[in-house]
Amino acid sequence: MSRSTQILRYIIRRLFQAVPIVLAIIVLNFFLLNMAEGDAVDVLAGEAGSATPEYMAELRAKFGLDQPLPVQLLVYLKNIISLDLGYSFRHDMPVSVLIVDRFWPTLLLMVSTIILAVLFGILLGLLAAINLNTWKDAVISVFALITYATPLFWVGLMMIVVFSINLRWFPTSGMENIAAFYEGFDRFVDITHHLVLPTITLSLFYLALYTRLMRASMLEQYGQDYVVTARAKGLPERRITFGHVLRNALLPVVTMAGVQVGALIGGSVIVESVFAWPGLGMLAFESLFARDLNLLLGIFLISSVLVVVVNLIVDVIYCFLDPRIEVS
Amino acid sequence: MKKRISFFTIITFLFLGFSAYAQKSGGTLVYLVQPEPPSMASYISTSGPIGLVAPKIYEGLFDYDNDGKIIYVLAESHSVSSDGKTVTFKLRKGVKWHDGKSFTSDDVAFTVMNVLKKFHPRGPNSFREVTSIDTPDSHTAIFNLRNPAPYMLRALSAYESPIVPKHLLEGTDIKSAKLGNNPVGTGPFKFVEWKKGQYVRLDKNKNYWRPGLPYLDRVVGRFVPDASTRTAAMENGEVLYAAYNAVPNIDAVRLKERDDISVTTDGYSMINPVALIEFNAKEGPFANPAVRRAISLAIDRQFMIDNIFFGYGKPATSALSTNFKPTGLYASMPNYPARGDIASAKALLDSAGIKPDANGVRIRAILDLIPYGEDWRRAGEYLKQVLGDIGIKLELRYEDVPTWLKRIYHNYDFVMNVNYFYQLPDPVLGVHRHYGTDQIRKGTHFVNSSRYSNSELDELLASGATEANAQKRTQIYKKIQEILARDMPVVNLFELQFLTVYNTKLKGAYNSALGAYASFSEAYLD
Repeated sequence: MSRSTQILRYIIRRLFQAVPIVLAIIVLNFFLLNMAEGDAVDVLAGEAGSATPEYMAELRAKFGLDQPLPVQLLVYLKNIISLDLGYSFRHDMPVSVLIVDRFWPTLLLMVSTIILAVLFGILLGLLAAINLNTWKDAVISVFALITYATPLFWVGLMMIVVFSINLRWFPTSGMENIAAFYEGFDRFVDITHHLVLPTITLSLFYLALYTRLMRASMLEQYGQDYVVTARAKGLPERRITFGHVLRNALLPVVTMAGVQVGALIGGSVIVESVFAWPGLGMLAFESLFARDLNLLLGIFLISSVLVVVVNLIVDVIYCFLDPRIEVS
Repeated sequence: MKKRISFFTIITFLFLGFSAYAQKSGGTLVYLVQPEPPSMASYISTSGPIGLVAPKIYEGLFDYDNDGKIIYVLAESHSVSSDGKTVTFKLRKGVKWHDGKSFTSDDVAFTVMNVLKKFHPRGPNSFREVTSIDTPDSHTAIFNLRNPAPYMLRALSAYESPIVPKHLLEGTDIKSAKLGNNPVGTGPFKFVEWKKGQYVRLDKNKNYWRPGLPYLDRVVGRFVPDASTRTAAMENGEVLYAAYNAVPNIDAVRLKERDDISVTTDGYSMINPVALIEFNAKEGPFANPAVRRAISLAIDRQFMIDNIFFGYGKPATSALSTNFKPTGLYASMPNYPARGDIASAKALLDSAGIKPDANGVRIRAILDLIPYGEDWRRAGEYLKQVLGDIGIKLELRYEDVPTWLKRIYHNYDFVMNVNYFYQLPDPVLGVHRHYGTDQIRKGTHFVNSSRYSNSELDELLASGATEANAQKRTQIYKKIQEILARDMPVVNLFELQFLTVYNTKLKGAYNSALGAYASFSEAYLD
């Protein structure tokens, strides 16, 4: 069996294994969320001022909230199996439309953050390890420590104060300049311009993590026997670092990045809120307080699927980074 | 190199974009809408953020100026018969809905009878005396009333009673009609797009019935969840107008020092918010009116205003707000000291036989707090301290909105709750719901959660609602306030003053008593 068919079979098997996991997540979330006091009708009626009990009962019947919980769960599962994520009564829109609408901004922010954080994290970690115990190492380590220890919302606000209010280089918030309504290439530039501050803010935290991890990982690899062997057979230090040590040292960083993609969706609530970025995290946060359970369950479902898929991708990347690792 | 130049040119244009609205007419007003509204259906929800957007699209029969005087909008004039039971509105001619259909008296009759009276949270109250509406021609609407309803004429603004198109609602399920998210009105701005999580965009109605208006080409309401970022956007000029404390007081007092930013407390008199404590008057430690009076005596209202709300507010002096002074309904009452009086509060508790134990504690209780922001948490901390001084030891409880609503208005599982109520332009609309026996409505929010019931008061409330004679009405409400100052099922703390923070570039947006809930038709950028 060739290597590629082996990998393909592995992917398919993993996907099948993921189905019961995702189902369990749905059921668990469903009951957890329903344990919260109050429902969507309470919130809607509370916002609307005084609404009569009859009106609220009518709304509950319309939303299906008057059914017993197991029935509600079965209806939900039935819909999920036919790939229907249900309806958000609060937004008066199908959940799938809402999620897709907010998925792209999240993906944009997530991908640019991961790329920025992983690239610079690897670079800084590498630099620190090569220049071990010099001032460069000290500067990088202190930088990593500070960015790791600083709360995200504070970094975000300081970014706004410095780069938006004082220097006026970037807009404070949002994804587009809504006074202008650009189109085409101008819109692309506009969105990129709005993306800069949130991406830097969110990546700083992860950057610190990857820097430290990369540095430690490099140092560990330097102590391995194969490095001694390589030196003994007279390989130049550059070849050793980039040809052997770096490749092996990358594995833990990639693992970490994979695990954190999931966390990034949730962790970006803060950054999305500070920069008014219209992503999934903010949507989840708002729907929790609005008790918009269909929408919340939909977001959780998408997130769990995303985590499963990303972990699968990471496992496959392993094979390429380190041919010794076999899929089975 | 050429590429780089074009890139920088675009960046430069972006910056110019922020200052591009410096023209006399035209331009885009970006303002803050906080939080994001649940829908645009202002005819079935009085939710605040809907009020920030919908009155630019829908209009009412009236608007009101800052002195509370009527400004005619969809009505050209009105007259009330001598017995007060017939109100005739002459409607404006040549008004078109945004979809091109003509606005007629049928729309008014349908809106009031089939929409507001049935589905609006406050409509059944505002229009409760209306039995039918006659439409002898397409520009006359005659309201037939069971009893005189003087308060009704205060509830005809675009925010409180928006007139909606009959041809788009008739025969549909009003609560889930398409119109809810795609509003079509007669107002100065047309609904264009609602990008969830970002903004709602309204464009100029070129066929608006007032010639030359509106000045603005476009109005965009932006949703920014974080308060500090909202302040930054205001500071940066990205948004020009922020009402209902979207920019918190703590930042507003700093921003108003700038030349280009001002602050006003105008535009909230029709909303008339009052901060208060609701008690469980039926059971528990606060069922005794003397305890509630003692609490009212102990609280230093001025201290709360100065230290928690940055000086914006007026100490409450009665169950009614001083905003009812012009209509003659307000009367100053005892038991609402501006400065706390710990000694008399203690004496009152002693004489009521509520003695302190060995630790100086008379009552232990949980104080619930309205989950609408940090200010209320701080108010709770102050109350905990000051009431501790008279031997009432409190624990604070701060939950999220649905849990809190359920606790207070459905389960009645509380003894003491900090809240604020809109008293609205007339006590019948905003105050009666808090005290009447008929307003003990389990599961309905913002009504009589104290479950206080007093038949004498009920009778007074009923006659206050239907009394057409202004002097007699004044007398009735004086008695009502006396009873409430004695029994205090609710202790009023202070009249809230919400803040509107605005860029001085924006002019002409401050003439309505509805403030941010008005139309912006005369707003322009200087």
